[in-house]
Amino acid sequence: MTSIASRLFKIMLPLAAVAGVAASPALAQKKGGTLTVGVELDIAGFDPLKVGVYDTSPNIAASLFLEQLTRLGDDGKPKPSLALSWSASEDYKVWTYKLRPDVKFSDGTPFNAEAVAYNFNRQKDPKNNCRCAFYIANTLSVEAKDDLTVVYTLKDPAVNHPALLTRPDQNSTIHSPTAIQTKGDDYNRNPVGTGPFVIKSWTAGDRMVLEKNPGYWDKNKPNLDRVVLRPLPDAQSRFASLVSGETDVVWADEYEADNIARARKNNALKVLEYVGSGAGVAAINTKVPPLDDVRVRQALVMGLDKKKISQALTNGLARPATNPYGEGSWVKCKDDGALPTDPKKAAELIKEYGKPVQFKMLFTATPRGRATSQVYQQLWKQIGVDMEIEQVDQATFPPRAFQRKFDIIGWRIVDFPDPDVQMFANFYSKSPLNLANYTNPELDKLLEESRATPDEGRRTEAYCAISRLLNKEATWFWVFQNSYYAMTKAKVQGIPKLYGGVIDVSNAWLD
Amino acid sequence: MAKFIGRRLVYLLPVLLAVTLLTFLVASLLPGDLASTILGDQATPEKVAALRAQMGLDLPIWQRYGIWLWDVLHGDLGRSFRTGETVWDAVTARLPVSLELMVIGVALALVISIPLAIVCAVKSGSALDRFFTGLAFGKLSLPNYMVAILLIYLFAVELNWLPATGWVPFAEDPLANLKSFILPALTIAFAEWPVLMRVLRSDMIATLQEDYIAMAKAKGLRPARILLVHALKPSSLTLVTVAGINIGRLIGGALIVETIFALPGIGRLLVGAIYARDFIILQGVVLFVALGFVMVNFIVDMLYAVLDPRIRHGRA
Repeated sequence: MTSIASRLFKIMLPLAAVAGVAASPALAQKKGGTLTVGVELDIAGFDPLKVGVYDTSPNIAASLFLEQLTRLGDDGKPKPSLALSWSASEDYKVWTYKLRPDVKFSDGTPFNAEAVAYNFNRQKDPKNNCRCAFYIANTLSVEAKDDLTVVYTLKDPAVNHPALLTRPDQNSTIHSPTAIQTKGDDYNRNPVGTGPFVIKSWTAGDRMVLEKNPGYWDKNKPNLDRVVLRPLPDAQSRFASLVSGETDVVWADEYEADNIARARKNNALKVLEYVGSGAGVAAINTKVPPLDDVRVRQALVMGLDKKKISQALTNGLARPATNPYGEGSWVKCKDDGALPTDPKKAAELIKEYGKPVQFKMLFTATPRGRATSQVYQQLWKQIGVDMEIEQVDQATFPPRAFQRKFDIIGWRIVDFPDPDVQMFANFYSKSPLNLANYTNPELDKLLEESRATPDEGRRTEAYCAISRLLNKEATWFWVFQNSYYAMTKAKVQGIPKLYGGVIDVSNAWLD
Repeated sequence: MAKFIGRRLVYLLPVLLAVTLLTFLVASLLPGDLASTILGDQATPEKVAALRAQMGLDLPIWQRYGIWLWDVLHGDLGRSFRTGETVWDAVTARLPVSLELMVIGVALALVISIPLAIVCAVKSGSALDRFFTGLAFGKLSLPNYMVAILLIYLFAVELNWLPATGWVPFAEDPLANLKSFILPALTIAFAEWPVLMRVLRSDMIATLQEDYIAMAKAKGLRPARILLVHALKPSSLTLVTVAGINIGRLIGGALIVETIFALPGIGRLLVGAIYARDFIILQGVVLFVALGFVMVNFIVDMLYAVLDPRIRHGRA
């Protein structure tokens, strides 16, 4: 049994026991029916130029009617979707994708290499000022070599490029060029893709109805006739809608621990849980005293009892993180160099430092930010550290981060199918997101090495060495792993792992 | 009467101007703007500045307000940068939901509060009166979201009589439409009735001590007739005012109820616009809400004139 399968087994076993069903693989997939999914937030739209970045709700919708060149299989490896095969140059800076023939967008436009290049160029064009352009900064060009061959040229090597194209996000989903050109401003809310469903109607703030795409290239898919997505912003009424039968699947997160526990006890419901890669973290500005002293930084890390924090904030559901990779990542470290939780030792280190330790930590001005900040404050107080809470608006957060106007700042290592993008952005000395203000030639060397080495074993070694270095220097600390939840009716089958928090119901069926 | 109406209507314009200008000012005080929202977490300050210039957000505020006002006066409310929707479409798609919620909610509140107020006023000081005024006081301290969740658990989860969330357009299925509004409207009614009831009760107690009521009683009129015809009308001035103000407030302010019951109303549009710094939508919504508020007040003023002829003649 592979490690992924065994982990999945561990997750599924208690669920199966509670639900009273035996885990039987390869159930017959039933056709037909309507599935209603309760997501958290309203969807602003799908035009990358308008919305910039998709968050989870548009991701979930996009997985139904848009497609990417590749998709992530259950083993965490990229699988063919709109691309059938791919190959890389020796330096991993040029990637060539062979596209699936005879695919049409639901408006009849043929899908081809031109369409892929068109989507990319539109996002990349500096005149378009797309927020999305940040995430494709490493891609220099995308060219149509012939009708079904598309070539990605990268600035820095990416050994796992096909995995980076798997997310149903603003950059990787391929939209119909005809629709974009003819609809203009209205494209955002009238998007057209190649996926198994098409948008039938969309009432802003209420529901999006998607129906089976009769022209879908895979004649066996989808199973469902119709999917309805409904934004249900309130967690309690979202859960109530699942219990009362108005929805079949609802999005959830660890702050809904009580409802998740209730769903696990309810035979009519199932809980899907997936621990991804990345983590909720914080960066320590190593240029400002007293945080320029490694003893102080280590003390802060050792003083934070993450289990206690998890208990206080999420009823113990959130999983403590000890490195930036997480259980869902293919990077598995025997030794990640995590500092122990040891408030006594932490207090000693602070005493050893000798001077009073006072600083501010930046949190978002949300109820969750407030709750989190107070727990940190209490825990640090016990080791003799005086942390002042500073809460700022979401919009003020990024500029403060970029200008390094903080002592400690809460952040997130985003869940990507390959760690390189986020690792390089957050830890490379010259990156604009090197929030810790920390420069170490050894770290830079390890980061450069891990992005140019195809061998997973050697990359893992490099990444674990990075983790040990970061943990020892305590320039950042990792709080909770990125974990994702969905609650469904017991009859809902065929939802794959919740990669990046996306509840992909495109191939689901009702038993 | 025409002069009265005309005078009232003229007053509306400066109010609308002031409200929209104030929103513009307050919104510009918020940290962050659309440029930083569009460019996101990872944008450099230079890029944000460039986009701000491109969108005209770097112009002085009075100039931006002037441009906006000019466009509005020419019938162009603008288009959201973020969603591409026109303000007109965004608002008119959601206004009916908020209006229906408000109308049903306030109607239910009146249905609850008026009979209770009359009973309590007649039996003022009795155990019954003390019970209902106490209940009203208790209800005042129970927040809306609590009531909403309790209603959902009782009627949607436990009894399964009504939907917990959502909305069906009236044109599609009138019965389902009404069903989807019952719980949200009840939540609003529960929040509104105590105030309305207490106001009407105290006015009614005062009215019932007037000489003409004693006169009516002496003439031997039936108590029901005295209460409903002679006493209720002159007692309802404050009630109409309070109900009017609350209606105005509810047009844009039923946010919590709209969020919990997932109704696609104006309140949620407004909050979404604030979070995204989508000021064009924000301005548009505020304009509509202010217009609604002002119109309701206008109607309330008209009702005064109906209820109390002295006002009509400018002698009150």
